Amino acid sequence: MGFHIVKRDICPLWKRCCFYLAAIVAALFIGALVLLAIGVDPLEYYYQMFTMGMVGNRIAYKTVMNYLRDFVPLALTSVALSLAFKMRFWNIGGEGQFIIGSITASAVAFLLGPSLPMWLTVILMCIFAMLAAGLYGLIAGFLKIRFGTNETLMTLMLNYVALYILYFIGETKESWNFFLQEGSLRPVFESFASLGSFPSIPIGDKFQLNICVILTLLIGVGIYVYLKYSKQGYEISVVGDSMGTAHYAGMKVKRIILRTVFLSAALIGLAAAFKVGTVGVLSTSITNDVGWTGIIVAWLAQLSTPMIFVVAALICVLQTGSITAAATFSKVDSSFANMLQGAILFLILAAEFLVRFKIVRVKKGEKTNE
Amino acid sequence: MNKAEVITSFIHNIIVFNIPLLYGTVGEIMVEKSGSLNLGVEGTMAVGAIFGYIVGCYANSLGVGILTAFLAGALCGLLFALLTVSLQANQNITGLTLTTFGLGVYFFVGNGVKATGWPVMGDYSSIQNGFADIDIPLLSDIPIIGKGLFSHNLLVYLGIIIAIAAWWYLKHTAPGLRLRSIGENPAAADSVGINVKLMKYLHICLGCGIMGIGGYYMSLNMSGSFNSSCWINGYGWIAVALVIFANWNPALAIIGTFVFGFFNTLRVSGGSLAAAFPEVFGWLAHIPTQLYQALPFIITAIVLVVTSIKNKRGSSGLPAALGLNYYREER
Repeated sequence: MGFHIVKRDICPLWKRCCFYLAAIVAALFIGALVLLAIGVDPLEYYYQMFTMGMVGNRIAYKTVMNYLRDFVPLALTSVALSLAFKMRFWNIGGEGQFIIGSITASAVAFLLGPSLPMWLTVILMCIFAMLAAGLYGLIAGFLKIRFGTNETLMTLMLNYVALYILYFIGETKESWNFFLQEGSLRPVFESFASLGSFPSIPIGDKFQLNICVILTLLIGVGIYVYLKYSKQGYEISVVGDSMGTAHYAGMKVKRIILRTVFLSAALIGLAAAFKVGTVGVLSTSITNDVGWTGIIVAWLAQLSTPMIFVVAALICVLQTGSITAAATFSKVDSSFANMLQGAILFLILAAEFLVRFKIVRVKKGEKTNE
Repeated sequence: MNKAEVITSFIHNIIVFNIPLLYGTVGEIMVEKSGSLNLGVEGTMAVGAIFGYIVGCYANSLGVGILTAFLAGALCGLLFALLTVSLQANQNITGLTLTTFGLGVYFFVGNGVKATGWPVMGDYSSIQNGFADIDIPLLSDIPIIGKGLFSHNLLVYLGIIIAIAAWWYLKHTAPGLRLRSIGENPAAADSVGINVKLMKYLHICLGCGIMGIGGYYMSLNMSGSFNSSCWINGYGWIAVALVIFANWNPALAIIGTFVFGFFNTLRVSGGSLAAAFPEVFGWLAHIPTQLYQALPFIITAIVLVVTSIKNKRGSSGLPAALGLNYYREER
């Protein structure tokens, strides 16, 4: 008797869901053990975390608004990254593209905001952020098709170049630097909320629904249709499956790569414009790590656009919830969310093995047909 | 400080503050030569740092600290190997998750211990003494450069020894050759009877263990003061960059560490250089520090492009199968 690992052709959806659910439950269980070990009731903690402390809270609407403010950039960035990943182009540069986008959007608000109506400023912020981030992403795309430069490592380097550009802007007190407050002695980012902010739709008497939420959902639908039903979307998946096939079928592979990388990076730029146009001020931690988390979200969702929204929503619950719970449980640091997120992902990666492969028993001397 | 002292301390700082890069880089070279791209260096170093420091302090022994850091790092490597080698998970995702997870563990454990009483390095004499500078006889007496180059703590020497040993191992031993062949073409290596899985497991764990020691070094160099920013603070990512700069060669990694370290040190000590030599280095005071911080990444990006152009002629150390999982049935 021995064991043999064979690739599965297809795994039924219910089975897949079971595997993933089991992975999440197992991760929560491991988390519970850690919580028990430090003397915290895991049920109470998880309750606080998953409800984000909203039950019996009079300012719950604020929690929802803060939650959506984090959700929009994460969901949009993940969707954007999934475009490139579908083509097997490893855009790890979400952080950098997001930063370039947010710097550009802020610059537009500062320079054009005073002389233009708000609605026009906001539109221009989006357009320029998309252009700048898209071009920044194109650097890696161009090098990839021209010289075969490894895009994973290249986009990784460009993340840090962008980050230090942001630090430079945020830490240099000079007369040309319009990003900073004029009056203060120490370098502090100036707010541009009065120059370029996205409008909100009031729902009920207190809750304000930011228009970015609606736009993000619409873009999500658009990308879903684009990937599933358009010719360009089809080309992306063919290039991702096999460049040789795409070439043989007469597709202009290089053009497809450049176009998709630009679109992917430009959407991340748009996510950045949404973010700065909502919070109204730049900061050195403006990305909130969405470039990194977005990669994980896109992968967890297996690059399916609707699933990305679900996963992004859940990850945001983890992150927002752990911060709320940390206020109640002083023993549990909010970094618990990162650990839990890591554990969930590790176990899902392991579960994915069971989705892609199956373990077959073979008797000695017997041959498998697969 | 007089002018000679400024130069001496500048050289000294290049080495002292940047040796963690060497550990991270040599560790990552080990991992990458087996064909695995581990983007979890930052997380692995953080895990090694926090466990190495705390356990080392409780045991009041530098040796225990080094060993713990190595084991903690190797455990991260084991996790990575289990997922990517045995369970065929995507390496980029696994590595990035390892970083998220590792930083989570770092802050969770660190803040947990801090709540009950943080071990202060100064209270542990044998760690304090073990981390003190050791003069190399004769060489350290050379004026100006002697104290800068040849008077360092034990872990600096250990790092250099590990780098040279790794270079020798990869270049001149039979297992090293086998390892490189796996990184180039695992199917071919498998067909000549090399145990690909075992070799990958071993070297991923070994490499990650070395990164863990680098993290421990970082904690000691910061005198173990724990606050809101991580001890590793991006060094893991610079190490990923340095691997490329060093062309996957551990001996070149030593030089690369000093080149990157030079810019790092200019950021910190550029001001004192400018003050000591206003005519020669006065301009240094006007360069934004962020440029120094970005330079390692800019240089690496350029090196990456140059190597990819050269790669068409086959002179790069980039393992051909880097980042691809090996599944035997698809051979």
